[in-house]
Amino acid sequence: MKKMLSLLLASAMSLSLLAGCGGAPQTPPAQSNPPANGSNTSQGNTSTPEPATPAGPIKVAALSSGYETTYPGMWQEVCDAFTAETGVEVQLTLEKNLEDVIGPSMQGGDYPDVVLLATGREKGLTEQFIKDKLMTDITDVLSMTIPGENATVSSKLIPGFVGTNATNPYGDGKTYLAPMFYSPCGLFYNAGLFAEKGWTVPTTWDEMWELGDKAAAEDIALFTYPTTGYFDAFFYALMYSVGGADFFNQATSYAEGVWDTAEGQQCFDIVAKLAEYTAKVTPAQANESDFSQNQQLILDNKALFMPNGTWIVGEMADAPREDGFQWGMTALPAAQAGGAGASYAFLEQIWIPSGAANVDAAKQFVAYMYSDAAADIFLKGGAVQPINGIVEKLDGDNVMFYSIYDAGASAVVGIFSAYESVAGLGTVREVFFDPVNGLVSGNVTKDQWIADIKAASDEMRENLV
Amino acid sequence: MRSKGRSRFIVLCVAPAAILFFIFMVMPTFNVFRMSLFERGAYSPTETFVWLSNFKVLFKDAKFITSMQNTILLIVTVTIITFFFAIVFAAILTREKIKGQNFFRIVFYIPNILSVVVIAGIFSAVYKPENGMLNSIFSLFAGREIMVLWKDQPMVIVSIIIAMVWQAIGYYMVMYMASMAAVPMDLYESASLDGAGRLKQFFQITLPLIWTNIRTTLTFFIISTINMAFLFVKAMVAKGSSDVALSFMYNQKDAGLYGYSMAAGVVIFLFSFLLSALVNRVTRRDVLEM
Repeated sequence: MKKMLSLLLASAMSLSLLAGCGGAPQTPPAQSNPPANGSNTSQGNTSTPEPATPAGPIKVAALSSGYETTYPGMWQEVCDAFTAETGVEVQLTLEKNLEDVIGPSMQGGDYPDVVLLATGREKGLTEQFIKDKLMTDITDVLSMTIPGENATVSSKLIPGFVGTNATNPYGDGKTYLAPMFYSPCGLFYNAGLFAEKGWTVPTTWDEMWELGDKAAAEDIALFTYPTTGYFDAFFYALMYSVGGADFFNQATSYAEGVWDTAEGQQCFDIVAKLAEYTAKVTPAQANESDFSQNQQLILDNKALFMPNGTWIVGEMADAPREDGFQWGMTALPAAQAGGAGASYAFLEQIWIPSGAANVDAAKQFVAYMYSDAAADIFLKGGAVQPINGIVEKLDGDNVMFYSIYDAGASAVVGIFSAYESVAGLGTVREVFFDPVNGLVSGNVTKDQWIADIKAASDEMRENLV
Repeated sequence: MRSKGRSRFIVLCVAPAAILFFIFMVMPTFNVFRMSLFERGAYSPTETFVWLSNFKVLFKDAKFITSMQNTILLIVTVTIITFFFAIVFAAILTREKIKGQNFFRIVFYIPNILSVVVIAGIFSAVYKPENGMLNSIFSLFAGREIMVLWKDQPMVIVSIIIAMVWQAIGYYMVMYMASMAAVPMDLYESASLDGAGRLKQFFQITLPLIWTNIRTTLTFFIISTINMAFLFVKAMVAKGSSDVALSFMYNQKDAGLYGYSMAAGVVIFLFSFLLSALVNRVTRRDVLEM
């Protein structure tokens, strides 16, 4: 009797264990959705969906960023509006660590239909989809009529946002990523401090260094940065302001000898000199757990400028600050007197994985993102889309931030071209920007940094996708 | 008949664990070895067989070599320091009459139940360059402002060592306290009658009698240090400033080099396996019966 009981218990235990591990795959496999494109996963970009695909529920995966924090429920509201307009149900996945949530299920073959996730993030998920050509060609979305409106998508987009390698990564005229939110990046400072000291915001780098010396006399560092990741937007704008569009395009496609040109050298000189003017504590805090202390340096008047984006206002909203503190933002100074400054437009993209089961409805969803109804909801969270006339609808600090281009700064759009992953070759951030920590603390020399960039840049060029 | 039923019962009892172990440990490990011979992106369905080329590049990759060096440095220093303090504290808490013994035991043990994220938060306050705990204490004693940049080169690895030791001491201390409590008191009594001092008792009685325990925990510790180092580096310091073997592996995955990352995984697997075997061998002694 006793043995029977223990046998029963043991088998119950083993059953429950097995049931426990069988829990995960209970969600229906991706194939149970309309199968039209199921076989296309391996060919990636060649997928042209069958027009007959029934409009089933679509799965939307979006990054929960500062905008969602500002206006909780923003994405759900947009999805509901889409469902009301088209009748297509939406399953929304909204996560701060979106890569960790959708990554494993995508490896298991379960793809969302629409993904909002920008390039340039630490985990580089979007870059991997670009490199491996796992995105659906959405060029035709640009000529689609927006659901519920008469206008087409391209007629509403601000010119210049589509066509760079941020949206057309292969340079073949086909669009794979739609520009979703943009935010001007620049140097942020305490406007109150400048007014108090009677300093003017520098318009050239020479003025910048002069200001740096003046500030140093008062124990204020000229510059700080949250983490080296913030140098990408900074460096894009720097390249553009130094060498204009031609140099920018050459540099972002790793053209041969581009770093030996006068413009290339000037970019390195400026970053290296800026490293000397950087607050010494910066590299010690330039990590995921302490970066806000670097941002705090601006609020505490211990450093003058930092590269950042418009989200900084919301991010530091609760942080203590000096009396009279007021956010100011300026474009990067011009390379020469009389030149134009530049500000990088940080772009978040929305795209459709080629493994998506419901491409047609997904494209409708992407098109709907540019409707007035959706744009108004996004604006409540401070998320600004590249839609004509959107700047007039802004309020608060955003008016000043987004008027940066009207004030004469060149708008810089585009990213470093994608290259095939090669073992031993680092990412752009690892090669170009991470060593800035070492430049500031003095254990990486400028020559070493430049030599590494040149070597890596050559290898990147050879492996362009 | 009876023994047949018994063995069936044993098989049934062992089966769940064995099946789970096979599915979640053996298969993935096998897969790591297989994938290290291929090159593929994390999400790409196509993979190309590249034979051993991942390993060839790996052994020339300066970043990998640095990260292995960091790992070894951490294993050696963290192990020595942790074991020293854990054994000493355990000996003091079991052998000496100290007020609030339980209190100390709990205080030392608490770091172990904190998540690494919390520890990273605590240490970002400890290491803060301005007004941080450590720098403030130093400044107090030096009489002038001292600003050590803990999380910057070259101190960054020291910061990690301190945090890891702080986290690990309590757990091992409790383990040694348990085995020290099992050492019979009469051994100490007779030793002291023979004129052996406290120190002599510790080295001649306590240490030999808990040696089996030390050996086992040492193997645990080496493997857990390899894992914990990754968590600490990831949560505490800037990416790329002091990579360890596992964080190197993780970064390769983000760069879209799945095969390469698995090749690093294979090397780390073999390394930790061999190291544990080596430690096990080196520390072999005749087991003393109490």
